[in-house]
Amino acid sequence: MSKEELSKVSENLTLETDESRRDFLDKFTKGIFGGLVAGGVVSALAPVQAKANKDGSNLNFSTAFEPFVLPPEHPGEDAILRMMRDLQRALKKPIEQRHWNMVIDLRKCVGCDACSVSCAAENKLPPGVIYRPVIQQEIGSYPNVGHVTLPRPCMQCDEPPCVPVCPAEATWKRPDGIVIVDYDQCIGCRYCLNACPYDARTFDFGVEYIDGAADAPKVFLGKDKAGKYETEASFEYAKEWKREDDKSPIGNARKCHFCIPRIEKGMLPECVVTCIGRATYFGDGSDPDSLVAELIALPNAFRLKEEVGTHPSVYYIK
Amino acid sequence: MTREKMGNILVWILIIGFGVWGLPGIMDRFANGHINTAYGSYIPWGLWISAYIWLIGLSAGALMISVMTYVFNVEAVKKVGKMAFLVAIATLVGAMISVGLDLGHPLRAFSLILDPNLHSMMGWMAVLYSAYFVTLCVELYFAIKKEQARGEKQKSIKKILTVLGIWSIPLAFAFHGGVGGVFANVVAKPFWHGPMLPVVFLAGAFLSGGALFATVAYIWRPSQSKDEFIKMMVFLGKTTLALLILDEILELSEVYVGTFYSAYGEGHLWQQILFGQYWYTFWIVHLLIGVLVPLFLLTAKSKSPGAIALAGLLIAGSFLAVRLNIVIPGMLDPEIKGIASAWVHSKLTFSYLPSMMEWQVLFFIVAVVMAVFMIGKKVLPIYQTAGDE
Ligand code: SF4
Ligand code: SF4
Repeated sequence: MSKEELSKVSENLTLETDESRRDFLDKFTKGIFGGLVAGGVVSALAPVQAKANKDGSNLNFSTAFEPFVLPPEHPGEDAILRMMRDLQRALKKPIEQRHWNMVIDLRKCVGCDACSVSCAAENKLPPGVIYRPVIQQEIGSYPNVGHVTLPRPCMQCDEPPCVPVCPAEATWKRPDGIVIVDYDQCIGCRYCLNACPYDARTFDFGVEYIDGAADAPKVFLGKDKAGKYETEASFEYAKEWKREDDKSPIGNARKCHFCIPRIEKGMLPECVVTCIGRATYFGDGSDPDSLVAELIALPNAFRLKEEVGTHPSVYYIK
Repeated sequence: MTREKMGNILVWILIIGFGVWGLPGIMDRFANGHINTAYGSYIPWGLWISAYIWLIGLSAGALMISVMTYVFNVEAVKKVGKMAFLVAIATLVGAMISVGLDLGHPLRAFSLILDPNLHSMMGWMAVLYSAYFVTLCVELYFAIKKEQARGEKQKSIKKILTVLGIWSIPLAFAFHGGVGGVFANVVAKPFWHGPMLPVVFLAGAFLSGGALFATVAYIWRPSQSKDEFIKMMVFLGKTTLALLILDEILELSEVYVGTFYSAYGEGHLWQQILFGQYWYTFWIVHLLIGVLVPLFLLTAKSKSPGAIALAGLLIAGSFLAVRLNIVIPGMLDPEIKGIASAWVHSKLTFSYLPSMMEWQVLFFIVAVVMAVFMIGKKVLPIYQTAGDE
């Protein structure tokens, strides 16, 4: 084979592999990065809010869902892909037949707070409202000390003490296990904040990041520009929420909702995709073939404060 | 100047003073919502919720005086039943404003009256307070009518009042025991959780409300002979003393159980109450001003009405400290160790000292309570006893 022929073959080869790689990357990015950013533009879903919806009859959005094209299963693939496949399978089932679970591997969490920050960005959380703080705990005493980093989303308890206490019936458990807050119904009494044994609910006091910031339009980047974040709507519960003029969600109890608008569009929760240690897993625990179902069955899986009888949907692995 | 006149002037000065001082707080509440309060997401309830239980307790206590008048026909308080209703209404109004301003969306709360969640103790509160408010107004109406009626008609109104009075006994137990239940049912807060709290709430309510009424009856006494007046004050003094002793027995039991093996359970919270940063709330405001001095005044040989009235005022006023010491310590423990430093913000802390704005709002509410009482006393024939049989 001459030099020319050789280079031609290699060119062809490169082209071929490039194409397939591009194709793969395309699908992959669509799946993952599309999932990362698209959460903000989901607004076409029917709102999950009316009291009459509590039986879950109108909560099944799977019909509105167009699955991402995912690359074929291959050994050593990122767990994200498997979880996305699990998610797509789950969404094909009626809502009452799936049960969302989260598993957090404490051995892999590095305590970087990426999940907390991305969650705050996804849900446009104001100062003082947090859905998933990462708690740092020192254990032992010198010289035998250890460090645990513990991300704490809402546990989406199966026996949620926050639900019955609500005088306004503004918070309830969906058939798929997610405990939600109806912002339009919530009177802001904060009883549920006290009832939650995980401090998982925070109150939206109406505080803004730009409170007290200098305001000099045209002179320098003042409140109007810097405050853009505050005026962006969040899409929690698949509805557009703008924090302005004391309107909900200001004055409401707020909490993690497993990123409902994302998962119902086939995207994993924001914290799952941003976790740099790949320590957070998500899926349908009622599906025996799902990754979370496998992880939950591990002997070193446990739940927080099991003794209070809340039956959390969030498991930890240590 | 008569005692009543002096009382009127003093109370109006207080109303104006508290009102003027408190107004900026109210304006802040309407302009900025809850931003300038000191409570946050980890200590979600603060001064206003404590004030709400304080005021609703005063109301329940005053109601019990009216029950003595209309159900048990206690001679000593026969002329002050209507005033007791008025005190109960005024303090109920204050309690509702206090809890209302504490809500994130106060206007939505009205829907609770018609459509409450009866699995929620707080949902029950909406129903019970509405029932209570209506009962009080109807009772006051008939109590006034009774004085104006004669003969048979008066007798039948008296019967109605007795029936309403009997109905208000379980109602008072339900709504104030129920407030205790709002706290006692929260399993996540071991300091509140347990069967004692509703009982403690009731005892405290009857004590503080009865005590307040002793002061009110002293200043704005109905037309009665000196003998009747002394009899009334002695009766109110004795009732207050008995309730004070009962309340202290309950408190002693709580402190003793809470601290005996201080290494376990809620011992550390009692440590906070007794020897923590705000120790003076317990020792000085509650124990000295609210218990020991009144105890001394109430057990003094002289039985002077003035001393009884002063004791009443001290107990009723300082009872806010008791309420604060129930509400706040319950929330001082993080549910998960280390959570306060996980995401840092002033609304995510485990310490609480009411902000100036919260105090201003509270004083404004107290001014409103006093104003409702003063205006009610002026426009309604509270003192009228002519035709009483
Ligand atoms: S963790 Fe707290 S907020 Fe979440 S469901 Fe359980 S009790 Fe409710
Ligand atoms: S704060 Fe809202 S959701 Fe929570 S108990 Fe009160 S009304 Fe219900």
